[in-house]
Amino acid sequence: MNTLSEHVIEEIRELPGKYPQPRSAVMPALDLAQEELGHLTQEAMTQVAEALQLDPGYVEGVATFYTLFHLEPVGKHRFYVCTNLSCMLRGSESIIERLKVAIGVTEAGEVSKDGMFSYEEVECLGACEYAPVCRLDHRYEKDLTETKIDQLVNDRRLPRRYQKHATAAPATRKPAARRTTRSTRTKTKKADG
Amino acid sequence: MAEQRGTVGGPVLTEWFATADLHKLDVYEALGGYSALRKVVSGMTALQVIDEVKVSGLRGRGGADFPTATKWSFVPKDHPGPKFIVVNADESEPGSAKDRYLLENSPHMLLEGAAIATFAIGGHDAWVYIRGEYDLPFEMLRDAIAEARTKGYLGAKPFGADYPLDVHLYRGHGAYICGEETALLESLEGKRAQPRSRPPFPAVKGAWGLPTAVNNVETLATVPWIIRHSGAEYATRGTEKAKGTRMVTVSGDVQKPGNYEIEIGVTYRHIIEELAGGALPGRKLKVFWPGGSSAKVLPASMLDTSTDLDGLKALGTMGGSGGIIVMDDSHCVVKGAARLLRFYAHESCGKCTPCRVGGNWAVRTYDRILAGEGSQLDLNILDRVQQGLQAGRCLCGLGDAAGWVIQSTMTHFRNEYEEHSLHNTCSVEKVAVGA
Repeated sequence: MNTLSEHVIEEIRELPGKYPQPRSAVMPALDLAQEELGHLTQEAMTQVAEALQLDPGYVEGVATFYTLFHLEPVGKHRFYVCTNLSCMLRGSESIIERLKVAIGVTEAGEVSKDGMFSYEEVECLGACEYAPVCRLDHRYEKDLTETKIDQLVNDRRLPRRYQKHATAAPATRKPAARRTTRSTRTKTKKADG
Repeated sequence: MAEQRGTVGGPVLTEWFATADLHKLDVYEALGGYSALRKVVSGMTALQVIDEVKVSGLRGRGGADFPTATKWSFVPKDHPGPKFIVVNADESEPGSAKDRYLLENSPHMLLEGAAIATFAIGGHDAWVYIRGEYDLPFEMLRDAIAEARTKGYLGAKPFGADYPLDVHLYRGHGAYICGEETALLESLEGKRAQPRSRPPFPAVKGAWGLPTAVNNVETLATVPWIIRHSGAEYATRGTEKAKGTRMVTVSGDVQKPGNYEIEIGVTYRHIIEELAGGALPGRKLKVFWPGGSSAKVLPASMLDTSTDLDGLKALGTMGGSGGIIVMDDSHCVVKGAARLLRFYAHESCGKCTPCRVGGNWAVRTYDRILAGEGSQLDLNILDRVQQGLQAGRCLCGLGDAAGWVIQSTMTHFRNEYEEHSLHNTCSVEKVAVGA
């Protein structure tokens, strides 16, 4: 699937009104697009541009600037592993090596054969006191060890009802917040509108 | 209550952090939260707020260390249209995690501070630009804003006062450069985050071309305390010129990494050895970055250096964002510096040539050195590159910071650079392997 559904485009058209100037909607719009498709296709960026009345080249220029926008397919679960200095001192290199084996890929950006996983090396995640850390499914995983990496991967391979991470939510976490679903989005809009 | 690794129940910022569910409005309010905002909107003038903060001596905690009240007073009072407070929650300086810590524990503290600041500049809206990776803090802020609006503390009539105040959220998408205030503003406007040339300064032409003051999370989170207790009381803490307390994040080779609230003026020895528990068993501290990766390194022999911000400036380094990265004798400084240069090269926005080109030159040179293919020439190249990166040749400080990493590590650890470059050995990593 390369193109956005009509309801997402509708949602994107409503975004500019939330900001003092309409152009600010471009990143939230790309967010919605990426949420639906997993990554930003050429078609989707063109659709975003049309919906916001911007030049497609401009939209792509914004998308390519920021590391959280993906222009290539990614795994369903993405590991963003910090390898900056504090995490490096605490062993992020061996975390990366273990992760590659655990998800069966040879390099960053490669998607595992089952489409479940991919990883990226990222810059400081701002959780240095828990180094080494990674971001996975919109949460930080802290004090990583090789064993913990195996657990995180294996847990996500289980059928959903057996997944530990699906239930082990801290008190502050909203149930819908784990994966950005449409209902979360609507809620976000209300809260921040 | 959010997970905590660091100070709870400290003097100012972390005063209430031991209380469970502090992120909930009723808990925050029961302790005295929102009394400062109530006081401000129901009886103070904007000028009085600015004066109180001026007396406190509060300076920006994002790294630039600029007096907060002065920044607010630059925003033109007679400007007829909208004016904004923009909260810099794009914390991404390597080694710094304190804003996340504050947000996860007490999101209302930031909202209250942001609302007070907005009142002080004569605006009605604050925008929080929060880095995209901070999912949990984002959700907590979103929920906190909803709570405050429902209660009527934010909105058309905060605490019944006829002065609308509101806070909005905007998510970043992964770019270190957005920590730089004009790049952040570009990003908020939906553009590639490239720093602007100044003047005009944000106070005159900021977000969406309108007068704006950009403040760091910690800076604004301090403001409610100052209003509750008085600027004079805040100013009793700290050193003669650098007032108050601040958060530091200690990470790397220490026993108890964490976010600690310190009184400005304590020594790094106190922070690293007492608060963070000192070196790991059997190891010795070698070097530390006193204020994020962009601050020039200090060798362990300088642990008794004070956290006094002016004193650090005199030493040529800085307190920066408070991220203290500690490295011990099992780690190689050249490898560490190489990693940081890879960071600066990756995060360069590409607008200014010295930073765009210099960073990549440095990365290639470090790669050669660490691959065992270095020579005296590479040391000379690094020296030239660091000079080229520095001295304010660029629109923002990213390039300078990259240069400082090279220069300060080469100054203090020339021996490690020479071992790698000239002899293709590393006595440090051998120690590590043997240990």
